[in-house]
Amino acid sequence: MRHVYLIARQEFVKYVTRRGFLLSILMFPLWIMIVIFVPQWTGGGQSGPAPHTFTVVDRTGGTYRDAVVAALARWNKDRPPAERVWRYTPAPNFLVTASEAHFANAVRAAFGEADENDWMGRRRIDTVLLVPADFGHDSHVTAQIWSRDDRQNGGFRAFLSGALTGALQLQAIHRYAPQLNDPSILDVSVDLEARNPEHAAPADTVIASSVPIALAVILFVVSVMNSSVLLQGVVEEKSTRMIEVLLSCATPREITAGKLIGVIAVALTTLLIWALVLFVLMALASHGTVTLVFASLKAIASIDTLPFLLIFFLCGLLIYGSLFLAIGSMAASLADAQSLLGPAMLILMLPNVMIAGVMHDPNGPFATALTWIPLYTPFFMMLRIASHPPLWQLWGAVALALTTTALMIVWTGRVFAKHVLTTERPPALGALLRGLLKRT
Amino acid sequence: MTAPIVELSHVTKRFGDFTAVSDLSFSLAKGSILGFLGPNGAGKTTTLRMMLGIFPPDEGTIRMLGRDVAQVRDRIGYLPEERGLYRRMRADAAIAYIATLKGMNRAAALARARVLLADFGLGDFAQVRIEGLSKGMAQKVQVLAAIAHDPEFVILDEPFSGLDPVNQSELEAFIRRLAGEGKTILFSTHTMQHAERLCDRLIVLAKGRKVFEGTLDEARGLLPRRARIGADADLNFLAAVPGVEQATPPSPGQPWWTLDLKEGDDGRALLAACFERSVPLTHFDVAPPGLHEVFVSLVGPHSEAA
Repeated sequence: MRHVYLIARQEFVKYVTRRGFLLSILMFPLWIMIVIFVPQWTGGGQSGPAPHTFTVVDRTGGTYRDAVVAALARWNKDRPPAERVWRYTPAPNFLVTASEAHFANAVRAAFGEADENDWMGRRRIDTVLLVPADFGHDSHVTAQIWSRDDRQNGGFRAFLSGALTGALQLQAIHRYAPQLNDPSILDVSVDLEARNPEHAAPADTVIASSVPIALAVILFVVSVMNSSVLLQGVVEEKSTRMIEVLLSCATPREITAGKLIGVIAVALTTLLIWALVLFVLMALASHGTVTLVFASLKAIASIDTLPFLLIFFLCGLLIYGSLFLAIGSMAASLADAQSLLGPAMLILMLPNVMIAGVMHDPNGPFATALTWIPLYTPFFMMLRIASHPPLWQLWGAVALALTTTALMIVWTGRVFAKHVLTTERPPALGALLRGLLKRT
Repeated sequence: MTAPIVELSHVTKRFGDFTAVSDLSFSLAKGSILGFLGPNGAGKTTTLRMMLGIFPPDEGTIRMLGRDVAQVRDRIGYLPEERGLYRRMRADAAIAYIATLKGMNRAAALARARVLLADFGLGDFAQVRIEGLSKGMAQKVQVLAAIAHDPEFVILDEPFSGLDPVNQSELEAFIRRLAGEGKTILFSTHTMQHAERLCDRLIVLAKGRKVFEGTLDEARGLLPRRARIGADADLNFLAAVPGVEQATPPSPGQPWWTLDLKEGDDGRALLAACFERSVPLTHFDVAPPGLHEVFVSLVGPHSEAA
């Protein structure tokens, strides 16, 4: 174990002190920042937030709808055109007439129709405000806000709440002003319940479902980035004969284990630094980020599948790391490594091409079938895990991922021991497979 | 008698159909310096790798320090033929890293590395990365990395490769010092002068087989002695002198005749024949053959091994 630790430590130090590592550490968060903020900056600060179109279904007869529209007009009047991002559009008839039981379907249909973007490429309806028929009576002051995106702009919600509260207070004044004995009746504040036509999920759930998908994509990025460095490192060690010195100190299995653990440490450090740098950059750019990040962390911690996610993430890293390490040990030169890397990259890229298909129906036959391809099990299960796949599939995938990881490590150890000191061309596939299956 | 430090018994190693080492046996006593000679492809590196436990032999047994090599890795030092160091590592860290892999505590290894570097005149370069050192300096660092953990047995594969004459002399002195401290040393080389100056014993390999094992004198004894005679006169008559195998006239750059003597002949008859004919001599010596000639005769194109 001491050899494994020393080699892992050396691998870690070797990679994290490279200029390329430091650059990549900073570049990824900067790239994210650019993706987020450049569209705003390119508008010279004129464009502001994206336009947000909403409609109001007022079951009380239209008083509150008119109040919201009037409040919007007042709001916009005091602002420059670039900040007039909230736009009202009348509700389609089928939405107005939809019963409470079918309202979610009606909203879904409204959003679906509105997917035909307008001439500027914008969706026509982003949010539906439902004012129930009993709103304002018997202390019922809860309206519903249905949105495509649960993470609505907090300012917009506050605006709607304020508009409804003002309208409610006005109603109360009209109703009770002549005999106003209880002034506290005016002390009301409207609540808005967040709803989603698909699953009426709260914001935390959205974060929880996004984390596995984000981790799957990050797994790919981190695996490719660090594993290719691992491959280059082995080729360099072969060319300088450093590998011989290592082999005179430790067994091939200890060396491969040390190298893989070193890469995992680098990958986890990369993730941690990315998160911190991104957090700092975003906090500097937007004051709401800190709150959002803490909410996200809380949501992540509450994910009941978090241990599974970690297992799949680490298995994925080890599987892809082993693959690259085996390639590096077979290659006599960087040119050889490049020729082997091409097919390996195609194998690794394949799951990315299929993300859309899997996400369309995460528990469908296509996604399920892909999950049982051993090399891809961690990746696809991470994509699917938020969709609550059947428990037997989850545990089966864990078993398959762990088995694949163990086999990859053992096979990589064999390939490493057999080929790392050769200066010949990489073996043919048939010879390689025979070598893997033969116990030495 | 103490047990041998190294003991190879009928060792054979094959790679597919190719036999790299065939039925090799030898042993090495504590404190000795063994020269491991052979042309390219003779099986030297494969043998060294088997001794280090990197390859298992297909046949035969290898005992290092009285045990299986896996049990004594930490007591063996190894210098590979080329620079086996991480280019971006500092000199002291590079030495300390190998020493820690060989079982030393990191702090002690780093302290030892700095002492060794200072001893070798590289104290000012302890914090310099390997890629910033000259080839000679890097080779010294490599040697220090091989012995920093104070091994009992040191394997040096072409240790003089790339060193200038001054550094070669320093390294020779260092190897003698190690042997003086009781360490057993095996080094492979193509440079016969180093082997002549350093080795107690020699092993010559050719095509995976041992073609010679013995002392330097025993090696020289494989070929007859040779006389060199300088004179302005034609010395062709010496070819007929009893005990002379062959007479070769001077060649450009060599102002003397070379006379190969038959086994056991001491060359005195040559001197007598010259006096008899009153030939004035400018040079006369009789010397055993050099190791280079022995090596060529053992593994060259006209040898039995060819």
